[in-house]
Amino acid sequence: MKRTFTVCPYCGTGCMFYLLSDGNRLVGVEPSRNHPVSRGGLCVKGWNAFSFVGHPDRLTVPLVRKDGELVPVSWDEALARVVSGLRSVQGRYGKDSIMFASSAKATNEENFLLMKLARRVFGTNNIDHCARLCHSSTVVGLAETFGSGAMTNSIDCIDKADLIFVIGSNTTEQHPLIGTRIINAAKRGAKLIVADNRVIRLARHADSHLRHKNGSDVALLSGMMQVIISEGLENRAFIDSRTEGYHEFAESVREWTPERAASFTGLSAAEISDAARQYAAAGSAMIFYSMGITQHTHGVDNVRCIANLAMLTGNVGREGTGVNPLRGQNNVQGGCDMGALPDLYSGYQKVADPSVRLKFEKAWGGALLPATPGLPLTLAMNAAARGDLKGMFIMGENPLISDPDQAHVLAALQSLELLVVQDIFLTETAQLADVVLPAACFAEKDGSFTNTERRIQLLKKAVEPPGEAKADWEIICGVAAAAGFYGMKYENTSGIMAEIASLTPIYAGVSHRRLPLAGLQWPCTDADHPGTPILHRERFSRGLGKFVPVTYRPPAETPDDAYPFVLTTGRTYFHWHTGSMTRRTHLLDREENRAFVEMNPDDATKLGIKGGERAVVSSRRGEITVFTKLTDVVPPGVLFMPFHFAEGAANALTNNELDPESHIPEFKVSAVRVRRAG
Amino acid sequence: MKTVIPDRLQEFFIGFTDEFEVKVPVLTTEGERVFASPFDGPPALSGGALAAKPTAVFFPQQDGVISIGSEGLLHASSAKPLFVAGFTPRDLLCLRFIDRFFAEGYRDDIYFSRRKGALIAAVSGFSGASGGFVPLSGGACDLEFVFDGAVWIVVPYSEPGKRIAARIPDDAADDALAALLEKSGGCVDEDAAIIQAASKLLLNEMVPDRFWDSVAESCIQCTGCNLVCPTCTCFGVQDWRYPDRVERSRMWDSCQLEGFMREASGHNPLGTEGLRTRRRIHHKLAADRTKWGEISCFLCGRCDAACPTGIGIVAVSRMIVERFS
Ligand code: SF4
Ligand code: SF4
Ligand code: SF4
Repeated sequence: MKRTFTVCPYCGTGCMFYLLSDGNRLVGVEPSRNHPVSRGGLCVKGWNAFSFVGHPDRLTVPLVRKDGELVPVSWDEALARVVSGLRSVQGRYGKDSIMFASSAKATNEENFLLMKLARRVFGTNNIDHCARLCHSSTVVGLAETFGSGAMTNSIDCIDKADLIFVIGSNTTEQHPLIGTRIINAAKRGAKLIVADNRVIRLARHADSHLRHKNGSDVALLSGMMQVIISEGLENRAFIDSRTEGYHEFAESVREWTPERAASFTGLSAAEISDAARQYAAAGSAMIFYSMGITQHTHGVDNVRCIANLAMLTGNVGREGTGVNPLRGQNNVQGGCDMGALPDLYSGYQKVADPSVRLKFEKAWGGALLPATPGLPLTLAMNAAARGDLKGMFIMGENPLISDPDQAHVLAALQSLELLVVQDIFLTETAQLADVVLPAACFAEKDGSFTNTERRIQLLKKAVEPPGEAKADWEIICGVAAAAGFYGMKYENTSGIMAEIASLTPIYAGVSHRRLPLAGLQWPCTDADHPGTPILHRERFSRGLGKFVPVTYRPPAETPDDAYPFVLTTGRTYFHWHTGSMTRRTHLLDREENRAFVEMNPDDATKLGIKGGERAVVSSRRGEITVFTKLTDVVPPGVLFMPFHFAEGAANALTNNELDPESHIPEFKVSAVRVRRAG
Repeated sequence: MKTVIPDRLQEFFIGFTDEFEVKVPVLTTEGERVFASPFDGPPALSGGALAAKPTAVFFPQQDGVISIGSEGLLHASSAKPLFVAGFTPRDLLCLRFIDRFFAEGYRDDIYFSRRKGALIAAVSGFSGASGGFVPLSGGACDLEFVFDGAVWIVVPYSEPGKRIAARIPDDAADDALAALLEKSGGCVDEDAAIIQAASKLLLNEMVPDRFWDSVAESCIQCTGCNLVCPTCTCFGVQDWRYPDRVERSRMWDSCQLEGFMREASGHNPLGTEGLRTRRRIHHKLAADRTKWGEISCFLCGRCDAACPTGIGIVAVSRMIVERFS
């Protein structure tokens, strides 16, 4: 029996645990009492994280499509096919006719290398990853207001906060061990305000639960800020010394009286005023938010409002305060940090900045690097559907199930001349691929992940990958070598981290040697730097915090007579994204093994639909049949569906309308109708 | 009296590794105390109950049941017998309970394939968390390591335990042990009184459903309370079909999960969070008491330590006693 101390592969909370192995077989996990996040606990996904690893469906050999069939081939043949395919597309349609999709499930080292492969070896900035679908609004909105698009504070701050305001985050289900800290804070007497249309678990512990209409966040937050200013509850000293742009901003919220906000949100004016007063009165208040804020066509505006609210009350830069976007995937923070983004190198260094490019050119052997930012993932999919993008290299993502408007995604992927998918299972997307590269999973490789509080932690190999599968970083280096680039040879992943540190100021002090047990929170700027639990202490990353006025815009698609329901999508506690791992985990799959829609019992009665029977849900994009779950968790007029289930894919219905700045899709609001099946 | 000084413990346990598969609490580089081979790190007998349940050495979280290939059953080769040191006296009570449970009626051969012939050593004396005193077990094991604050006194009980102890020369008079035994007799356990009182209230049906609903509000169904509990024995079964074989394995299950009792019809006798939370406590404090004549929580402390929202069995029993006595 061997123990390997490593990082949970699921959410961005970043629990660490021991994987127990017997020979090359995993037999369980043990939580860590000393780890600062886990503190002896795990959620159900963490407790079962070992279970899918040995599944018989794991990919074990490279596959190449021949005569319409995916057939096993050697690594040499597969890599040659990848390189010749990508080069041939580029030769015919231009350098930017290919797209690299990196992965928030891959390590920092692997994200960095795929970014390097795209930019240095294939000469394109067309690289992005699923942060586009989750927190791109945060990266844009917080970079503009604070200068850094990451969680400002640490999970430990929850224990110090007087008030916690959770908006658009079902924390106990999506970041369970952060959710439990919030429950514990409420139990010790901290005030808890929850703004969410659904009666999530945290709402049951809340002092106030605001069930505002889906997509009315700007109105709610503007209303709260109007109350704070009109009642003189703002923090003058903070505004004067630490921020700019206040007056223009204050002017912009003047019209948002609580009565007006009430008419947009469906709340009462008193609920809004009361929440505002509570938030402003707290000595230290933390805001937590997640997809309920970001996944809107006004996602960036939502984030701006949150930043404005925190600055208005001086709740930034101290213990127990801050703006805390909870990053979903275990390494979505790291994927962004590593520059798996079309406009940024690692450490948020701009592609458009010639001095940045020069630095990377020097480090990577001189060749000129492309200067114009590339395509975000969502626009790349649109470009493919239009016929403007012809090749895609997808590492560890399953867009056919995870991206909006499945029919559109299917058409886009099918139109490609070359689709390469690197993954651990033959996902729905991989089934469409021309080349499938079998990858090692989290338990079979080394590297690092960065959790939601910017904590860089060591991932360690416990068992060997199945068959011929290899770690993503080894595969990427193999592609580079097959393309004739010899500047991507590494003995191990710590060598890759050394390169990252040398090129990335916020990771400059990071080395694998420094990461055991609790890791390091970036910025960590030199080898002696202890890491940074709280950002923006003395000054904001951009100098002064910037108030940015926001104008309310409704969601792109609102209910009408033909499609009278609002559909909001998300995840459940037991499954992870497209289910490739959790649906192959016995206990998790047993808990939830069929696609379902949550519906208010009143709506069901009106439509003659019973609980547990099948219903057809349709939107302007598509139609699916799922089981009904009747529950007061959703208000009348609203349906909720998780997107985990390929056989009842919520994303067949969702709307591919994007935020104009972050290009995030509006997963949280689309108009649908529903009827009994059969 | 036989003693081992702390600095010689590792060497002492390593001395048995030819004959046994030895599992002792060791300190990992992350500072955790875990059951591992004495080769894996310095022994860490002191510090109280380990985070993981010691009974996992007989039934790990996931375990093979059978493997069938084209030539029929594939058998795993049998390993050396186990020598497990590190049970607290309360862990021993848990072990006794599940030994009986796994033996009675349907006998669990997989469990006993490891349990049979295993040598069990308890740890007590001034070896609790932060040097606290752990009363001696009184002999429900093969041998016991009792810390007197300076040395480990090794007390054999069974014949196999005596063979282990025989390797240590007698080096001191028995006075120290006698004093520790006397101190054990005087220990009063407040938590035991709490769960006894809660048990009585449950048996008398004094605890209303709305109490369980309110406790369940804080349960995120992590399953940790069940998975760390030495007297929780429920498991699920899965079959995986590989190209060359079919493998059946079983894994720890949890009554905190909705699917645990869901019937094929969809009906679920434990269909609400409140009912499931009630079951977790009621089963140990009331149902098992009726069936086996004793409460099946022996206060090992693990569920209270593992529950992320503080609703382990002692915490909940305290609430019950405060509200309903
Ligand atoms: S809370 Fe997140 S990181 Fe922790 S065990 Fe659960 S899924 Fe893993
Ligand atoms: S204290 Fe908790 S974990 Fe330990 S025996 Fe009792 S119920 Fe089980
Ligand atoms: S440990 Fe606590 S939160 Fe987890 S399942 Fe048990 S009672 Fe619920």
